[in-house]
Amino acid sequence: MELRSFGERIAHVDLARGSWQMRPAPREWVEKYIGARGLGVRYLLENGPEVEALSPENLLCFMNGPLTGSEASMSGRWACVTKSPLTGTVTDSHQGGWTAARVRWAGFDGLVFEGAAERPVYAFLEDGEISLRDASEVWGKGIHETVAFFRERYGEKNLSVNAIGPAGEKGVRFAAWVNEDDRAFGRGGTAAVGGVKNLKAIVVRAGLRKSEVPDRDAWKQVRRVALDAIRDEANITSPRKGGLSVYGTNVLMNVTNSIGALGTRNSQLTSFGEGAEKISGEYVQEHLLVEDPTCHACPVACKKEVEVKEGPWAGLHMESVEYEPAWSLGANCDNDDVAAVAKLIDQSNDLGLDPIELGNALSMWMEATEKGWTPAGQGLAWGDTAAMVALTEAIAERRGAGDALAEGPARAAESLGHPEIAMAVKGQAVPAYDPRGLKGMGLGYATSNRGACHLRAYVAAAELGVVPIESDPLAWQGKGELVKTFQDLHAFSDSLDLCKFSAFAEGAPEYAQQYATAMGIDFGPDDVMQAGERIYNLERYFNNRAGFGPGSDSLPARFTEEASTQAGSKGHVSELGPMLGEYYAARGWSEGVVPDVKLRELGIL
Amino acid sequence: MRVSFYATLRPIVGQRSVDLPVNAGATVQELVDALAARWPGLSEHLFDEAGGLSRRVNVFVEGRNIRWLEGLATPLEPDQVVDIFPPVAGG
Repeated sequence: MELRSFGERIAHVDLARGSWQMRPAPREWVEKYIGARGLGVRYLLENGPEVEALSPENLLCFMNGPLTGSEASMSGRWACVTKSPLTGTVTDSHQGGWTAARVRWAGFDGLVFEGAAERPVYAFLEDGEISLRDASEVWGKGIHETVAFFRERYGEKNLSVNAIGPAGEKGVRFAAWVNEDDRAFGRGGTAAVGGVKNLKAIVVRAGLRKSEVPDRDAWKQVRRVALDAIRDEANITSPRKGGLSVYGTNVLMNVTNSIGALGTRNSQLTSFGEGAEKISGEYVQEHLLVEDPTCHACPVACKKEVEVKEGPWAGLHMESVEYEPAWSLGANCDNDDVAAVAKLIDQSNDLGLDPIELGNALSMWMEATEKGWTPAGQGLAWGDTAAMVALTEAIAERRGAGDALAEGPARAAESLGHPEIAMAVKGQAVPAYDPRGLKGMGLGYATSNRGACHLRAYVAAAELGVVPIESDPLAWQGKGELVKTFQDLHAFSDSLDLCKFSAFAEGAPEYAQQYATAMGIDFGPDDVMQAGERIYNLERYFNNRAGFGPGSDSLPARFTEEASTQAGSKGHVSELGPMLGEYYAARGWSEGVVPDVKLRELGIL
Repeated sequence: MRVSFYATLRPIVGQRSVDLPVNAGATVQELVDALAARWPGLSEHLFDEAGGLSRRVNVFVEGRNIRWLEGLATPLEPDQVVDIFPPVAGG
C-alpha cells in the first residue's frame, strides 16, 4: 500500500448502470485538498452545489485520507461527504472502527457513488474489485441484523460492513450510516442519500497491508513522536491513565454540568444537577462497563462496551454510552436512567439514526408538549423513556408524530408554528455544549459549514483547560481567531484522516511531519494551517453557492437572549454578534460570504 | 463545604465527595493543602514542581475554574461547592 500514490484509486460507481471505473483524482485536487473531507468536498463542488440533496444526482462520496489504514496512530477514519438532506449544506461525517482501513487495504482511496440503482443493492469490495449485489434480503432490516447477515454470508474474518438502517431507507433526514454495529457517520443525514440511491451497504473484505513509504526509518520516527505524545501521562489520551481512555467521551458529563454548560430540558436550563452523575462516564465505568474496544491503530480505546444488568433493559449489551448521545437522550430529555440511555443509543444505532439529532427532536417535542403545542394524543412527557423508545421507532418508520420528527427538529418545530424551540443552526441540531457556558463552542456552532457541530472547532479543549492554549469559557473576546485556528487545524486532520482526538496530544507539527514523510514531500506546520484554511473556505464557497449567506451563521435566540440561571454560567448569554465580527475579520469574509479575492489567494479559483 | 472529585481523581480519594469545614478567610490554597495532606496520592496531580497549581488539574469554585478567578488565592466561603477534575474532554 503505497501512501504517496494516494488519490490514484478513486472508484466511481454508476448505480443506475451497475458499473464502476477506477479514475484517479486530479493531482491538483489531492495536493490542495489532501484527502477524505477536503477531497470529498471538491468532488461535491464539481457536481454542483445546486443539486437536490435527496435526488439521484447528489453524489455520495466515501473518502479515505492519505494516512487512513496506515501505521499512523488513530488512522482508522474516513469521511462520508455529500450534500446534506438535513441542512442543504455540504456535509462530511467521519467514522471509526475498521471499515475505512479495510477499504484502503482492499485497494481503494475513495468511493464515489453516482445515480441510483433500480433495486436495493450493496457494494462488495475485495482485491481491488467492486461488485454490486442484490440487497433485497436485508432491505428493511436493522443494522445489527444486516451486519449479522453479511458475517454469516462472508465469514467474520477481515470483514467490515457499513450499512444504512430502516431510517435511511425511509428518507429520515438525520439517518446515519453505521459500521461494525455501532460506529456511525452520525451527522447530516448521509444515510438518507444512501436510501435514495438504493444503496444498502458497503461490505469489504481485506487483510492488513503494510504501508510503503519513501523513507521507512523516517516514517517510523515521526510515528513514534506522535505516539509518544498520545501516551504522555499529561495528556487525556494516555492509555488507561488519561480521562478519555479510562472513561471515554462521557468523562465530560460532570464537568459541563459543573460549569453550567450542559443543556437540560431542551436547553431551557444549563445544568442537570444531580442527574448528570447518574448518566456520567464515571457511573458507567463503575456499574455497566464490560470492555474497552478500540479502532484501527488506536491505543486510546475510548469506546466503552456496556451491559445492562437489571430493569426493563436487562441483558442489553451495547457499545457505546458516549457523551453526546448520553446528553441528547439523557440530560436534555430530563432522563437520568442510564440503562434507558444505553437502550436508546443502541436503538438509534440499529435503526441507523443520528442520536444527537434524535435527542434534540425528542426534547423539542417534550417542550412542545409541555406548552400544549403538540397534536392531541401525540405528546411526550419529560423523561418518559418507554414513550421515547416508542417514538424513536415511529420516527424510523415515519409513522404518526414520527413522520414530522423524521424531518428533523428544525423542520418539525416550524411545522408546529414554533421554530424558536428547535435548538438548531442551518437546520442541524446543537450538540452537548451550551453556548452560554462555553462561548467559543457557540461561535463554532454558528460558523460551522455543516450546521451546528462541536467537531468543526473543538475549542472546548482550550476552554476546559485541556490543551496549552487556555481560554476563559465565559469571555467572548478572542474567540474569533481561536475558532478559526481550530477549524483550520481540524479541517486538515479530517482530511488526513486522523481521529479528532489526536489533537489532544498532537498539533500542526506532528500532522505535518507524518504527512510529509508519508508522501515524500516538504510540508510544514504552516502548510497544514493553509491547507486547512483552504478546505474550510472551499466548503464555505460551496454553501454560498447553495444559498447560504448573510444571517446564516446564527444561534437560536434561547442562547443569545435567555440568560443562564445556573452556577458556572449564571447570568450569561452568548455574545454572538461581536464574536462573529472578530471571526469574519480573521477569515477575511464579508457577513459569512467568502469573497473572490480570498478564493484566489487560497488557490480555490 | 462540599468538595467533589471526578474521573481519575476519584479512585485516589476513594469517594465521590467529602464535606470539609472552611475557616473564615480561607483560600483554595489551604483547601488543596488539606486535601493533599489527607490523600498524599493527590499531590502529584494538584501541584507542579514549583508548588503551583498543576496543569493536570482543574479546580472549580461554584462552577468557575480558579484559573479565571484568583488562582490558588481564590477566597472560599462555607456554602460554596468545589469540584476537582483532571483535564477532561472528548467529543
